[in-house]
Amino acid sequence: MSSSIEVKNLSFGYQPQKTLLKNISFGVKPGVFLAIVGPNGAGKTTLLNLLCGLLRPKAGSIKIDTARIESYSIKKLAQKVAVVRQEFVPVFDFTVAEMVSMARTPYMGTFGFESKADKKFVAEALEMTDTVQFASRPLAQLSGGERQRVFIARALAQNTPILLLDEPTSFLDLKHQVGIYDLLKRMQQEYGKTIVAVTHDINLTIQYADETLLLGADSNYYIGQTKDVFSPQQIEKVFGVRTFTGRVGQEKFFLPLGKFAKDNQIITSKPASSQ
Amino acid sequence: MGEILIVKNLAIKIVLCLIALVVVMGLCASVGTQKISLAKVFGGPGDIPGSNIDYEIFVIRLRRVVLAGLVGAALACSGVVLQAILRNPLADPYILGISSGAGLGAIIAILSGISWTFWGGSPITVFAFAGAVATVWLVWCIGRFTGKSQVTSLLLAGVVVNAFFSAVIMFLTSVARSEQLRSTIYWLMGSITDKDPLVLWISGVCILTGIIALIVVCYGLNALTLGDEQARGLGIDPAKTRLIAFGFTAFITAIAVSLSGLIGFVGLIIPHGVRLIFGPDHRQLLPISAIIGSAFLVCSDTLARTIFGQEQLPVGVITAIAGGPFFLVLLAKYSRRVSWLK
Repeated sequence: MSSSIEVKNLSFGYQPQKTLLKNISFGVKPGVFLAIVGPNGAGKTTLLNLLCGLLRPKAGSIKIDTARIESYSIKKLAQKVAVVRQEFVPVFDFTVAEMVSMARTPYMGTFGFESKADKKFVAEALEMTDTVQFASRPLAQLSGGERQRVFIARALAQNTPILLLDEPTSFLDLKHQVGIYDLLKRMQQEYGKTIVAVTHDINLTIQYADETLLLGADSNYYIGQTKDVFSPQQIEKVFGVRTFTGRVGQEKFFLPLGKFAKDNQIITSKPASSQ
Repeated sequence: MGEILIVKNLAIKIVLCLIALVVVMGLCASVGTQKISLAKVFGGPGDIPGSNIDYEIFVIRLRRVVLAGLVGAALACSGVVLQAILRNPLADPYILGISSGAGLGAIIAILSGISWTFWGGSPITVFAFAGAVATVWLVWCIGRFTGKSQVTSLLLAGVVVNAFFSAVIMFLTSVARSEQLRSTIYWLMGSITDKDPLVLWISGVCILTGIIALIVVCYGLNALTLGDEQARGLGIDPAKTRLIAFGFTAFITAIAVSLSGLIGFVGLIIPHGVRLIFGPDHRQLLPISAIIGSAFLVCSDTLARTIFGQEQLPVGVITAIAGGPFFLVLLAKYSRRVSWLK
């Protein structure tokens, strides 16, 4: 169950005279985990909204499995792409089970009732995200992190070949951050899902993402194998922040250094020695 | 694992609620200032028209009970749908200006003294319906073209149109003669009165068709309450679903308002009450609200016509007086389901 995404010469802006994303081209092969990283306002969420068909490009094209995204109906697209957005609280008190079962909406018939297969997908998704114990509780009574896991459960229950995630771990503690990325990696490896995640966490990106799109200001972007995209110079150029670079086995990690960082002088005076 | 809605369970709930509604309607039709014998009622109309007075009275009351049931069902459904598509728990059937539009139509009919009927409908009914439909159309057009967020634009357009038409109603009320004034105020307070059987049939078919149509599209309302982005991600076209739901809601509300005037509280309290007991899933919230709303207005109208003997109260007074405490009792009992009370 894999799908590919192809973006060609994509441009988009919310105002006619101001372009946020300019002439961006990249491809995501089936079963690849792509991270989109970049500073605030670079257009990461906008790009995600373009990939899920919520926004229409001003120029260029987006293809999913060789067909232009505009050619899919809303229902068909929801069977191809599931989206996990930044955390929110619904207006009405849906329980966790009700919320996750909504994932089956694109597959429902005229009156919109779940089949046995639908219930199986919902049960599995709750199990995988460790949210079974909340199933009967109203979503609004959960913590932000627990809610985020429920939204990921909903995306899994949607059973789409492509998963788009907008900062999926932004409200989670360390254990659940790693837990969610482990789960996403499992989805990629065992079920062949194509995953595109917007994130600010460079170190988790390095651990989990096969490829990274580093989106800078002024429509500059860098794409490639994650290990090749990140370097102290590249990060400083894009984010305007110096980093301490360390290594765990074969993988690099980056510690951002603020003005008040302890031992700032020592580290920044020899940035290369730590690599 | 938590409950996921099962068709069989829902069907059982709906059938039980429908049986309860039929019993309530039968009981309410048998209650009144004039005592009647149910044994005689079941004896039928008799060979000569008017020979069985108990039966005749029962039929007249039953017409009124059915009318109250239809209006109650329409208002409750309308409340459920508008709260969902506007993502606003305070929304009621009148939030988008239907009340003021219908009120303006009714007061124009009263002041102009027109006496013709249209398919059995009085001028007040016809004008109120026309006013309601025209207002909804106006609000939709303003909401559609004035803002980026359709929900906010609709709400604002409704508030503005409501305020403007209310001002016109106040002006017309101030220049009305005393008997016209009484009719206007009585209509604005909301009341169930006997209607021509043809009107009842037409209204009944229209309201039931509207409710069934809403039940068919209502599974998309669950996704719509999460916002347009989420709804699209779940395969629901927000604009299309909102348009269909809004259209049918406006249609049944306009019919209900033109038949009964402005009966408050039903469209606000019943959806919340049912949501507290059965949860927010619209696939069961909508049909069960329709049945409970129907039973609630039938009971309220029975109280309105019996509580002071021969003198009848506008049913809107009863729904407001009874609805508030009824809702508070539900809220106290089921508050564990409401997160904002924690």
